Amino acid sequence: MKKALAWRWTPWVALALAAVFPFLAATLDAQYLVRVGGVIGLFMLLGLGLNFTLGYAGLFDLGFIAFYAIGAYTTAIAMRAGVPAPAALVLAVMMSLAVRALLGLTILRLRGDYLAVVTMGFGEIARLTINNLDALTNGPKGLQVAPWRPLAFLSADPNIQYYLLILIAVAGGVIASSRIEDSRVGRAWIAIREDEIAARLSGIPVRHYKLLAFTISAAFAGLAGGLFAQWEQFVTPESFVFWESILVVSIVVLGGMGSIAGVLVGALVLVGFPPIMQWKLSADWINYRYLFFGLILVLVTLFRPQGILPSSRREAELTS
Amino acid sequence: MLVQQLVNGLTLGAIYSLIALGYTLVYGILTMINFAHSEVLMLGAFMALGLAALLPAIFGEGLVGLAGMFVLSMAGAGLINVLIERFAYRPLRHVSRLAPLISAIGVSIILQNGVFIWISTQSLTFPEPVAIGQVEVFGATISSLQVIILAAALLLMAILHFFVEHTKLGKAMRACSDDIQTAGLMGINPNYIIALTFFVGGALGGAAGVLYGMNYGSIKYNLGFLPGAKAFTAAVLGGIGNIRGAVLGGFILGFLEVLASGYIPNGAQWRDVIAFTVLIIVLLVRPSGLLGEKLAEKV
Amino acid sequence: MSASKTPPARVLLEVKDLAQHFGGLKAVDQVNLTIHEGEIVSVIGPNGAGKTTFFNVLTGVYPGTRGQILFNGQELRGMAGHDIVAIGVARTFQNIRLFAHMTALENVMVGRHTRTHQFLLGPLLRTAAFKNEEKAVEVMAKELLEFVGLKSLGNELAKNLPYGAQRKLEIARSLASEPKLLILDEPTAGMNPTESQDLVALVRKVRERGVTVLLIEHQMRVVMDISDRVFVFDYGVKIAEGKPREVVANARVIEAYLGKEGAS
Repeated sequence: MKKALAWRWTPWVALALAAVFPFLAATLDAQYLVRVGGVIGLFMLLGLGLNFTLGYAGLFDLGFIAFYAIGAYTTAIAMRAGVPAPAALVLAVMMSLAVRALLGLTILRLRGDYLAVVTMGFGEIARLTINNLDALTNGPKGLQVAPWRPLAFLSADPNIQYYLLILIAVAGGVIASSRIEDSRVGRAWIAIREDEIAARLSGIPVRHYKLLAFTISAAFAGLAGGLFAQWEQFVTPESFVFWESILVVSIVVLGGMGSIAGVLVGALVLVGFPPIMQWKLSADWINYRYLFFGLILVLVTLFRPQGILPSSRREAELTS
Repeated sequence: MLVQQLVNGLTLGAIYSLIALGYTLVYGILTMINFAHSEVLMLGAFMALGLAALLPAIFGEGLVGLAGMFVLSMAGAGLINVLIERFAYRPLRHVSRLAPLISAIGVSIILQNGVFIWISTQSLTFPEPVAIGQVEVFGATISSLQVIILAAALLLMAILHFFVEHTKLGKAMRACSDDIQTAGLMGINPNYIIALTFFVGGALGGAAGVLYGMNYGSIKYNLGFLPGAKAFTAAVLGGIGNIRGAVLGGFILGFLEVLASGYIPNGAQWRDVIAFTVLIIVLLVRPSGLLGEKLAEKV
Repeated sequence: MSASKTPPARVLLEVKDLAQHFGGLKAVDQVNLTIHEGEIVSVIGPNGAGKTTFFNVLTGVYPGTRGQILFNGQELRGMAGHDIVAIGVARTFQNIRLFAHMTALENVMVGRHTRTHQFLLGPLLRTAAFKNEEKAVEVMAKELLEFVGLKSLGNELAKNLPYGAQRKLEIARSLASEPKLLILDEPTAGMNPTESQDLVALVRKVRERGVTVLLIEHQMRVVMDISDRVFVFDYGVKIAEGKPREVVANARVIEAYLGKEGAS
């Protein structure tokens, strides 16, 4: 019982710590870490999103970053057309959802690795299209976005503002994820992952539920992309390369598929590690940061193949 | 013009095919995407570069030296692939479908950054294998380089075909690809056959790396990614796990790219978009690829 | 041999000229049969007779090549599997197909899917309607676990349950969708006589709930004991039907099926 109680408080304590962190960092002259924290938060959102597709529905997606891009570019284009920033975020989410739903309708009947390669193809198509459609996206030169300063009453530092805004989004994402997981819909997804045919013959419309999980993912990515564009005030196709999709998949798998806490830890470790190394180490060592990143991926996978913080159910699946 | 494009497509397709074979062989036996294959390819090219400096002293210039460089690079790449399997994939074989993939991504990052840190952060010039001459055929200019690439690729495919279809080891490999558990019961040591498959796939990838280096004249630590991703696409297009499918897919992709660049306005920019779009359309029409088998589910 | 000596008149399921071919193989062919409300009907026949294929066509796993399946007058052929569950046909599987890493209780709760409605907004906002529905699902799932005799095992992962309990859990999961017709594919397979008797009792209790039962069964003792009527399949074709005693006496059946069984 004691342990259960402690676990119940963990998220709130973590949230409180995360909320005061930027102010502490500011006094410690470590503003760099606030930026890193913001980026980690964006990838937490991406991980939470992909967790619906990969963790709940068991669908393999190697092009997820495309929806981050769609969110970012929708926001940028909308704001340049005079749409207010919060409305631009809503548009970003809606646009990502719409494209994702259309993509899902087309490709979800593919299985396993075929789905993986098709989503990878879509990710590349999206990036190259952004890159080539100069009229709309200004091509490789990118788009400038007018500054928007949310939460200005909390801090004058835009990095802290966006850090906190992203933190709110992550907290909201965690609550939404866990509530959906713990419902009829979440049970349906788990059932599908366990045994698709038994799920269908227990009355679950399998294709609809897969499409649902696949689509919901994009809301998180679209929101993250929109926040990214507003924070950076600049978007280019370079931010949305295949490698970023791989990073998000790694976050979900390494953290523990289908585990919300796992996704958060996965993002913290994988996204936080290279810049923190870069921050702490001398220039000679900076080159080594991705080498170590690769080593972490391999070693964690070898020694904890179920992920750092797997959901209890997943753990049971993997040890059986 | 068209003939020229076809020749270029054939050359490019041959390289893609070789890489795709490496993906498809491994997939056929373990149903896993060997994500590090693109790095094996890259390392093959770097080994060839190192050997190119050493070998002429031993074998002399010309075709013998070239062949020596080729064979040794292939062997090295094959060996690296075997080691990757042994240490990064085998411990995870029965854990889950995704764990080996993440491990493979890790290996890929390690290898790329290893080369980046310890060998070169920049492009290195890849030596011309032989003095380049040119032949005119039907209005197309064919360089001796293209002839070498095509000849080497076709030779390797022929050897692979003979090996898989007509040797005992090849049969064991096919048996494992059909059903690894049953093959194990028949007295085939699956670990041995899996290692062999990784060796063969890695060697073909290494060869492709060398050809790639020759074709473009320079190599870099991240050269493997793009042809790797595309060749994997080609393998899926042909029907992953299917050897003929990988070759077919590789050539289709090669032609597609060259024709798109040649005949569509701004084609070079849209080349990859077209390739991936064709892939998606093919898979929607034939969900197991062009030559893949349909899987039925048992209730 | 209990209450239903005179079969009730209302037809629940009517199968007309049903066929399922795989290439040249006629796994099921020219099957005509009728099941009345409240009956317990067994399908018997040697291995490979097409019994499971027949069930798979009924439940939408296979599309069927020809014919009609009328359930309460409604055509099932061409319907998706989950819609068939929704209109009142549930089933279990020859090789148990539970959600192995969900608890027994959760398995049954999943079975309630078609009879519940909360989608995204309810759980997201934790509305009263959502909480009430969850509560109701849980209550019913517990009631069903008790019904099949697994009251104390609700929190066990399905894969950790003993074999017999897994079979019962599958039945509880199917019942959660409130089927009018329950289809059981070899419910006593792999069970010892005591367990089989237990299961026969459970099937009777299911019928008492007003559920019609159609089952594939290999143990002749169970068939004789439980069935109001029996259909005999051989080579994909229904070769006989009738009361258990009549069927046992049928010469074609003895030749096709009991001949082998009798020898062992």
